[in-house]
Amino acid sequence: MAAFPNAQLPTRKYGLGFALSGEALKYFKYWILAAVLLSFLGPLVLSRSSDIDLSTWFYTANVAKWFTAFIGGGFIASLVPTMIAAGLTRRELSVAHGVFGLLWSAAIGVLVIAGLLVERAYYDAMGWAQGVQGDDSVIAIGSWGETAAFASVYPLMYLVYFAAGVVVGAASYRWEGTGWLILVPILPVVFSLDNAVYNTEPFGPAWAGVFGRFIDEWGTGLVLIGIAVVTLVLVVAAHRIIIDIPLRSKKA
Amino acid sequence: MSFAVTLRDVTLKYRDTDALADVNLDLEAGKIYGLLGRNGAGKTSLLSLIAAFRKPTAGEVFVDGEPVWENAPIVSRIALIREGGDFDDTETVKSTIETGQIRPAFDTEYALHLADRFELPLKKRIRELSRGKRSILAAICGLAARAELTMFDEVHLGMDAPTRDAFYKELLAEYMDRPHTVVLSTHLIDEVANYLESVVIVDRGRILRHEEVEVFQNMGATLTGPAAAVDELAASHDVLAEQQLGGTKSITVAAAVDPGTRERAAAAGIEIGPVGLQDLFIHLTEPNRKGA
Amino acid sequence: MFDDGAPIYRQIADQIKAEIMNGSLEPGGKVMSTNQYAAFYQINPATAQKAFRELVDEGILYKQRGVGMFVAEDARERLAADFRERFFERVLAPLVREARQAGISLNDIIDYLNDQEGALR
Repeated sequence: MAAFPNAQLPTRKYGLGFALSGEALKYFKYWILAAVLLSFLGPLVLSRSSDIDLSTWFYTANVAKWFTAFIGGGFIASLVPTMIAAGLTRRELSVAHGVFGLLWSAAIGVLVIAGLLVERAYYDAMGWAQGVQGDDSVIAIGSWGETAAFASVYPLMYLVYFAAGVVVGAASYRWEGTGWLILVPILPVVFSLDNAVYNTEPFGPAWAGVFGRFIDEWGTGLVLIGIAVVTLVLVVAAHRIIIDIPLRSKKA
Repeated sequence: MSFAVTLRDVTLKYRDTDALADVNLDLEAGKIYGLLGRNGAGKTSLLSLIAAFRKPTAGEVFVDGEPVWENAPIVSRIALIREGGDFDDTETVKSTIETGQIRPAFDTEYALHLADRFELPLKKRIRELSRGKRSILAAICGLAARAELTMFDEVHLGMDAPTRDAFYKELLAEYMDRPHTVVLSTHLIDEVANYLESVVIVDRGRILRHEEVEVFQNMGATLTGPAAAVDELAASHDVLAEQQLGGTKSITVAAAVDPGTRERAAAAGIEIGPVGLQDLFIHLTEPNRKGA
Repeated sequence: MFDDGAPIYRQIADQIKAEIMNGSLEPGGKVMSTNQYAAFYQINPATAQKAFRELVDEGILYKQRGVGMFVAEDARERLAADFRERFFERVLAPLVREARQAGISLNDIIDYLNDQEGALR
């Protein structure tokens, strides 16, 4: 995995968490770079034919949520057999993955916040409007303060998607063939909460937003508390699934 | 600082079938053990429990006197190498080796030295390796773990004969350099017999035998000669197998031949031959054989 | 290298004895260490150790702590005496028995041995 000198026992779980974050960012650096370039150059190209009134970064930030869930789940499914076979305990792996989730969400979150702010300056300079697609019309994000507030939710959003991905990934490894079905309760809850934060068009499978009709009446504060609670539940669930996960037998 | 292993009344169930039933086993620290058993006898299950890859359905597993489950100071010094290794197929050989550094005692230099000796391409990805190279990489990771308890589960599969030979040599050299507990699970018994100090035979989820290797060497004999005389001589012994060709009969008995019997055999024109560990194992685990 | 009739440690002990008898190991000379034996024959060191222990018990080898194993000064005499003692029982008795089964008389054997003795001189 990472080129770090031999780990020492009490701290190796944290070291592994940092190493995983570094590895993941390094591994996907060209993808991230491409997303950043596309987000800034895309509207420049589109502006030749039409008016720009939508934030491209908003879409980039949303793609990053699904990508984050995929990283959380994909990594845990491949780390469980390799790291436990390499002499790590499940608890250590769970903590390491938690550190990874925090760092990843923070790093991508900060990148997205910076992107939205830079984009605002960029749009202002170009005379474009930074807005998002609402239920029936384009809604402008608003003042600088509103842009900052809009962006600041993303680290938490990445964390909940990461946690959801870990639960699904760990369950898929643990219950071969059926474990992924845990997606069915998790996806609508997370996605509906996500959609309720802003009054925007869902970005992802629309059916998964079924709970939106109940949640939409909540205030933003309550929705954010809901996300925090769901994150916590997912983290506990992931930990519980991981701490006594058996390694699969090898197929001959 | 080699690890001893103790299993107390251990049962492992997969759904409704018992992979292991009420197993009690003690492995002494610092010895090389052979673990023999037919396919599905429970060898891999046994090793998986010792390495805390799985949790027993009932009973307890101790390594170095401590419960092994979720015990970081212990599991970080146990290496169980399964056939083909537990690798991420998308990684390169080099970073797979470096994953071992999660163990405080892992010897990266030694691993790279062995990789060079066995001609492993460091930059290739795991999925691009042949079965033989994959097995070698697994074996290297096991040796370089410098663990206090190292277990190889059928790791020789896919290696050709010269590679297996080189691997056994390296294993023995590493063992003499740094005494630790070793368990070799294999089907190629005669190939490893000389390296072993003790042998554990697993059969149908139970420990069938656990003895010093010399005990096995004295355990059986083949009596060959005139049918009637062989029958008479073998009558007082536990018969493992018999076969007849015309008037000549050959009976394999599960007992050492004492000097008295040896003399009577010689007088009756019966030849006494040795039974190799492999043959003995085949007879002992014969499915139709009742009791053991 | 080993036939699987006798335990390996006994075969190694026998081999060391043979080397002492034929002179390739001198009385007072140092014997290879257990690990060297184990590496040479590719066997478990405990097996080699068992062979050594047996030879020490028989007084063929002696141990000098921290230095190694040595051939006893009187090892050759001991082995020769031992051989003489067991020669009739181990070598001659089975031979005579087989000869009888083949119908060779005792006199024929004695004659043959006398001839051989003459030829050797």
